[in-house]
Amino acid sequence: MKKITNPFPPALAAAFLGVSFLVSAPLQAQEDPFSTVITPAFSPITWERLVNADDEPENWLMYSGTLDSQRYSLLDQINVDNVDQLEMKWAYQIPVIDRAETVPLVVDGIMFITEAPSNVVAVDALTGRQYWRYDHDMPDDLRICCGRNNRGVAILGETLFMSTLDAHLVAIDARTGNLLWDKEVAPHDSGYSKTAAPLIVKDKVVTGIAGGEFGIRGFIDAYDPETGELEWRTYVIPGPGEFGNDTWSGDSWKTGGAATWITGSYDEELNQIYWGTGNPGPDWNGDVRLGDNLYSDSVVALDGDTGEIEWHFQFTPHDVHDYDSIQIPILADIEFEGRERKVMMWANRNGFYYTLDRTDGEFLIGKPYAAQTWAQGLDPVTGRPIRVPGMAPTYEGIMVSPPIVGATNWYSPGYSQDTGLFYVTSFDGEQEFFKRDEDYEEGERFTGGGGRYTQPMDAYHSSIRAINPGTAEIEWEFPIMPRSSAGITTTAGGIVFTGSADGYFFALDAQSGEELWNISLGRRVHAAPMTFAVDGHQYVTIASGNVVYTFGLRN
Amino acid sequence: MTTATITALRKLPGLAKTAVLSGAFVLYLSPATELLSPASHAEDGGTLYNTAVDIRMGNRYFERQCSRCHGFDAKGNDETGAPDLTGTLRRASSDAGIFNIIREGIPGTAMLPVAADVPDPTVWQLVAYINSLRYDPASVDLAGNAGSGADPFGGKGECSSCHMVNGQGGRLGPDLSRVGENQTPEDLLQSMLDPDAAVAPRWWTIQVAGRDGEVREGFRMNEDSFSLRIMDADANLWSFQKRDIESYERSEQSTMPGYGQALSDGELDDLVAYLFSLRREVLPQ
Repeated sequence: MKKITNPFPPALAAAFLGVSFLVSAPLQAQEDPFSTVITPAFSPITWERLVNADDEPENWLMYSGTLDSQRYSLLDQINVDNVDQLEMKWAYQIPVIDRAETVPLVVDGIMFITEAPSNVVAVDALTGRQYWRYDHDMPDDLRICCGRNNRGVAILGETLFMSTLDAHLVAIDARTGNLLWDKEVAPHDSGYSKTAAPLIVKDKVVTGIAGGEFGIRGFIDAYDPETGELEWRTYVIPGPGEFGNDTWSGDSWKTGGAATWITGSYDEELNQIYWGTGNPGPDWNGDVRLGDNLYSDSVVALDGDTGEIEWHFQFTPHDVHDYDSIQIPILADIEFEGRERKVMMWANRNGFYYTLDRTDGEFLIGKPYAAQTWAQGLDPVTGRPIRVPGMAPTYEGIMVSPPIVGATNWYSPGYSQDTGLFYVTSFDGEQEFFKRDEDYEEGERFTGGGGRYTQPMDAYHSSIRAINPGTAEIEWEFPIMPRSSAGITTTAGGIVFTGSADGYFFALDAQSGEELWNISLGRRVHAAPMTFAVDGHQYVTIASGNVVYTFGLRN
Repeated sequence: MTTATITALRKLPGLAKTAVLSGAFVLYLSPATELLSPASHAEDGGTLYNTAVDIRMGNRYFERQCSRCHGFDAKGNDETGAPDLTGTLRRASSDAGIFNIIREGIPGTAMLPVAADVPDPTVWQLVAYINSLRYDPASVDLAGNAGSGADPFGGKGECSSCHMVNGQGGRLGPDLSRVGENQTPEDLLQSMLDPDAAVAPRWWTIQVAGRDGEVREGFRMNEDSFSLRIMDADANLWSFQKRDIESYERSEQSTMPGYGQALSDGELDDLVAYLFSLRREVLPQ
């Protein structure tokens, strides 16, 4: 453990206090990492408050805002009529040069921001000034596929929970930044890592795992928030004797991937946890893992107490294109074909949008929402894709749409309770897919191929699309460029907030898709916006490049 | 529009690869002693692991371990920030330098070291593969004469009316002062015969229909999610917010004519030789 929490660096202190202090101060700082800085008081976050998070829209209490992950805020002070008067209130410059994928939490005016590789800082949400920081001590032999990312923390009581790149889960005192416990979830040198914000479910910390490009075996875990003890583990690749194990040829289930690398959702009434699963491994060579490869590229519904799988829906059986179903399940109760249904909305990396019944996983409707060439369509009853023959990767390369990064990916979609529309960042791209023969070696990449663009990124079409969950039809689209990896947040002010790869943060009219406001922040937006209020004033925050910006209305 | 442009600065490693495997060209290996960082522990093993088999093994390892960021063709990826490895390397100028980067990674970046248990020969094979993506231009035997190629460039071909070389010429096409560093002779010939084959986004054109009914056309100086900036044939700059215009159309075609008819084979050969000779002067050691 390594922590730098002293806001008054020893050298600086010595300058004030005299040279004699210079000798002892640095030693003390090294020996005792204990932080003495305490944030202002905030009310501890109970499970009841998390269940009813939309009753306190001034706070943003979890990664996706609420347990149904709609990313819909009831704040409406900033609205379609005045959003063009937003101005920057402050910026927090992350000291680590990388890219910020963080969605901060705000609790009673205190903001918690995560940074690459796996650090967290508490700042004053009104000024961006730091209270404390926690720097996770990281080994130098990480196995990560796609950058040093961290997407956020979860909070319960007065404790923050964070995934770290070395596949640990840590508990941090939200008041001081002091480490409470540090638990190894899986061995990082075997290819496991962690990037997503955990999800609090009742009295447990539920969290997934990354490493789908390293032949891991994916799982979802629940931990005791007090002690860090593992309460249950549900593998999303069934073992021998379990249902679905026979969808993997030979021993391929042992190295089948299905990483669970983004945050899930929860329905309190049904007591079900919903979680997306990643690609089967090796990604692009399915010859060594014949069968449907359950539960890769699926959504699984878990019992909220035991973690047992109650139902699953597999979007892409026997995937050979890396179409992870790592999207955040959005839950809502909507009218579907004249009947009130508890649904789950899902725009998948594979190019299809789905509306499912979340009580049992029944397929209700699904259609392509972006360019795709690999499937003729979905079976109208089961939702299973009907494949176009001959679209699997080859040794010579074959052009397929969506490309590896997908029609969308991990970045959060949004839903508005006012418009009833589902919003997703989408990409109409294509890529040449290659297949290679590889043997599994622990800790080595296990992907079986790769991909190649044949045109510059500007040649492809990207957009924000609004989809009607009742019909799966696109209601409107707003073109952006190039491919975006920004998430979406909606508000009762009638706004869709999102960002773009060319560094814009912008607001669209949630009903019409019309542009309302934009500002160039100069660097790619790799994160989702969030909104909160302090002292009756609403703010909206977005990370771009290495900076976290907060905007509010002109006073 | 009378303006012209050539194709994108593509960095196809195809020719280089063929060259190495067929033995027609000599591998371009810098002396290993050059620019060795004090912390490096690599010695020059490059010459021990540069057979065609080593390059193939290195290629296989690259596809598996490196291609996710650097691309299956090693041409980099703007989204991940992974650099193109087929041209001049910024961080290493020797085999040992490449070896050390692969071995130790680049602190503070996404470039991680290879696993400690990966044997040195595997890393050297990777070095050999990366080296195979480049070649020594001096070993390329061309039909044309570079000196004679300057004539059609400035004269009959009217290339300099659009292209700049060493500060002289037009601005309606890419500056060609160092075009020989990034393009093979094959690329250069293709650019002149079929300019539309690959056009860099900067040299696409855009036609903007304003709300006033006026239509303006020009080079795509910049296009982002919300704005357009074009330069017309008279080098005037125009800026638009996308929300304020009626519509716009983008053309990914080149504005340069094909030269297959206008120039003889001999003139084209000379022009290729001239363009291929355009590279940064090597500073004396």
